Amino acid sequence: MIELINVTKIFPGAPSPSVDNVSFRVNQGNICVLLGPSGCGKTTILRMMNRLEEPSSGKILINSENTLKSDPSALRRSIGYVIQQTGLLPHRTVARNIALVPGLLGWPQEKINSRVDELLKLMGLDSGDIADKYPHQLSGGQMQRVGVARAMAADPPIMLMDEPFGAVDPIIRIRLQDEFLKLQQQVRKTICFVTHDINEAIKMADYLIIFNQGRLVQMGSPVEVLTSPADDFVLSLIGDDRGVKILDLTRAETLMEPADNISDDLLGSGCTVQSYQPVKLALEVMMKKNQDRVGVCRGNHLAGTLSWSDIKRHINKVSGEESEL
Amino acid sequence: MSFDPELFIHAMSHRAPPYILEHLNLVLIPMCIAVLIALPTSIMLTRPAYRRFTSRIMAVFNAGQTIPPLAVIAIFFPFLGLGYAPAILALSIYALLPIARNTITAISSVPQDVKEAARGMGMTPWEVLRKVELPLSVPGIMTGIKTSAVLTVSTAVLAALVGGKGMGAVIFAGINFFQAELILAGTVYIGIMAVLIERMLTLLEWYLSPSHLK
Repeated sequence: MIELINVTKIFPGAPSPSVDNVSFRVNQGNICVLLGPSGCGKTTILRMMNRLEEPSSGKILINSENTLKSDPSALRRSIGYVIQQTGLLPHRTVARNIALVPGLLGWPQEKINSRVDELLKLMGLDSGDIADKYPHQLSGGQMQRVGVARAMAADPPIMLMDEPFGAVDPIIRIRLQDEFLKLQQQVRKTICFVTHDINEAIKMADYLIIFNQGRLVQMGSPVEVLTSPADDFVLSLIGDDRGVKILDLTRAETLMEPADNISDDLLGSGCTVQSYQPVKLALEVMMKKNQDRVGVCRGNHLAGTLSWSDIKRHINKVSGEESEL
Repeated sequence: MSFDPELFIHAMSHRAPPYILEHLNLVLIPMCIAVLIALPTSIMLTRPAYRRFTSRIMAVFNAGQTIPPLAVIAIFFPFLGLGYAPAILALSIYALLPIARNTITAISSVPQDVKEAARGMGMTPWEVLRKVELPLSVPGIMTGIKTSAVLTVSTAVLAALVGGKGMGAVIFAGINFFQAELILAGTVYIGIMAVLIERMLTLLEWYLSPSHLK
């Protein structure tokens, strides 16, 4: 668990604080996304957590211990750190880059080797001779994977990720996000994730914290932030398609109505979605099948139906607007 | 001035060779002194705590380069007199700048994100220097040392003017007695030494260089 208490950072010569009296908590096993435009202080907050920057005032607790009382190098070895530019050591092979922190911690060589093999497999880097390549021989996506693998090498309970997928093209980015979310299901790290991309934030976040000009503007789950933005800034950050974004986060089963006798036809025509799938997908199916409602299934069994008017009602309710979608 | 091939061959085989070792001393000793001074100083000047002194110290090194070696000898003449010691001193000062300048440039050009990541992984400042900055700076540092070494091989000729001996003795004898054969013989040896020293340092550079550049 990471906890910030009234943290302020003022860089010498800066007219206003880069981070202004910020307090929040990242719970165990959660992905907490810090979102905001560039220069809003989100990266500075991340860098204060592993003491790459020192707060001007306030304190940061990691597992209830004040980080300012720990040895900075030891603290950093216990926290995974991923940055956008990857920062892989160019003179070391992929395997030796991943082995960096275990090496600093003085693990025996055998343990390091088996851990490196494990991580190469976990990150899908075990094909060919990637382990023996140097960073400049890798693609952007591979470099990012190695960056994540290196951060996870000593199995730290906490990971700090500063736009880790920012430097790759959109297709690779989405794949890396999906893989990472899948991985997180297994490893359950406590993660602080910095991004300026609202879509990435909504996708990755268990908990979303929004910053503007050094101040914490809003925090909450992605759905909470989408349904009740705190102010115009958050509204503009979310964008004009907030209704669609909400539908992407809403499971079909939460809006469905009980099935009636004619809904069996839907099952026959294939006009169905699974209950855990997002409502956005249900809309897609409606459009394709030219229907105004779909069947919601659990496995092969019809659990309910979801109609165009159900969705519209939901959107109007959450956004408080009388708008047609 | 006429050219006598026989005299040239005699100069190549008998007059010049005794000065080779002397001349190499005039290169190696100042080079060692210069490396021992310039390398630690420049490494220190790239540390955050001392970075603000860089321009001042570099001004001193620059001055060392702009003053002709003979003038350096003149400055230290009252203290060290003529001979071997002032020659070594002048050559050492002369060799400082290329090493210092290239070392500072090399260490400063290690990518910021690499240093940041190394620090973020929990390397101590000393580990970052030893395991990241220095290995990545080897090519730059060696460029400075090579430049300096080749420069010193030719500048060391001047040592003969203040009684510092070396291959300069042969060349200046040739100038004084109008014997082009001696001048040419001395120059040929200077050239050979410069090339060989450069080759050897290149080998050393290859050996020390980070493996991704090999």
